Amino acid sequence: MMDEANPPNWIQQHAVYQDLMHLDVGDSAQVYAAFLVYMDLTEVRKWKEVVGVSCPELQAVLLEGREKEGETVQMIYPLPSHRSIKHRELRCILDRGAPMLLCAVASDSTLVYQRLCDGFLTPDPPVDIKDQCRRQHRKRRLQT
Amino acid sequence: MWRQHEVCFGDVIDGDPAGMNASQQSSSEEVNEDLDTKSESERQPSKDALIDISFCGATPLLWKVSDMKRCRSVGVIGALVGSLARQPRQNVRLGRPLELLQEEALLLEETSSAAASLRPQDCGDEERHSEAVRQYEAGLESSYKEQCALALEDKKRVLRKIMNEKENGERVSGTDDSGNPIRDRLNALDQAFRFPWSAMAVQLCTARAGFSHCPEERSFHSTDWPMPRDERLNTRFCVYRDLKNKGFYLTSAGDPLRFHAHFIALCISMDEELPLCDILAIARLGSNVKKTVLLCSPRSRSETGRDESVEGDVVYSSLQWSSMV
Repeated sequence: MMDEANPPNWIQQHAVYQDLMHLDVGDSAQVYAAFLVYMDLTEVRKWKEVVGVSCPELQAVLLEGREKEGETVQMIYPLPSHRSIKHRELRCILDRGAPMLLCAVASDSTLVYQRLCDGFLTPDPPVDIKDQCRRQHRKRRLQT
Repeated sequence: MWRQHEVCFGDVIDGDPAGMNASQQSSSEEVNEDLDTKSESERQPSKDALIDISFCGATPLLWKVSDMKRCRSVGVIGALVGSLARQPRQNVRLGRPLELLQEEALLLEETSSAAASLRPQDCGDEERHSEAVRQYEAGLESSYKEQCALALEDKKRVLRKIMNEKENGERVSGTDDSGNPIRDRLNALDQAFRFPWSAMAVQLCTARAGFSHCPEERSFHSTDWPMPRDERLNTRFCVYRDLKNKGFYLTSAGDPLRFHAHFIALCISMDEELPLCDILAIARLGSNVKKTVLLCSPRSRSETGRDESVEGDVVYSSLQWSSMV
């Protein structure tokens, strides 16, 4: 039995979903993916000022928002996980200058975020083997 | 790849990468080979001297120590893949030849440091070639028989030595009967001994195989580049060249010296379709090994907006750990 408050087509009736549709870019699957990411960012991660933005070059709906009040605006590109993507398309968004997140939306609504940035990002150095051993030794000593 | 100042080249050259010292065989042929090697590295190559690249199929190889030193001194690393079958630690301490990536060979050729060397079959006829093959195989066969006999003698010597040591030990301690299994083995050795073909040492005469032509002869002998340049190789080469110009070094997995590389470079064209799942998978891989995955794409000249004489740039995007789980 379906809950009265949540009719089966509650997504289609949701104001934000309808806003995203009315941007008139992206196919229904991509708009649906964008909506799920919107819900995750706002309801779960409590991001601020999240809005849908039309991207005609990619024919897709992007999301813009701030992780916390006062922080810089980030761009999120939601995409169904079975899709393919070109480096050119990613550059299209990166070249705008804002920090960028790619979000893969799986058919079970699992969301995986991947951050991209321009140029070379030096990674954190690997943990030294010696430090690891020391840490493990300390752990064992505490346990005995 | 890693930044220039983090690399120590000294280790590579001083640590006997070429197996020059590994040859402990006493036959006169090997001694001559060493002498040839020493004289060739003492002779300073002239400025015009080209590095000789031989091809095994599509794989570029360097055989001469002087060529390897020169190539490494200009930042092309390659990987040593030669194995001296009966030396210890042959999965780690490898020797000549130096295998190059196709991009590395192309770069050497482009900067006029190297040329492909003429392959023997390009200049001989079928019959002479088959005759040469027959002679070579006959030579291998006789070398095998000789090595068989030597290995058997060697084995007997070792067993006799153990046996004598045990017998001396017995006399001192007063026990007996411990030398018998070894004596039985020694007696059975003539029938039971097997020397596998794969254990045979094979000498490759690099000093006598026409690699020592003087520079003028070598440029005469060099052939057209035998590698077809497909789209994928072009992409990889553009990225490789750009990264080298920026001061990075590139290593392939086979090199025995383990460097901490900072990046994994994925060479793709701007318009190549990549499944989203593949991007996520490779990003996960990179984050597990603490390396940044770089998407690298050459940009065509028309896109950079510069004049035709300037080469296209390469665009780099880093896949970063998002900490949004």
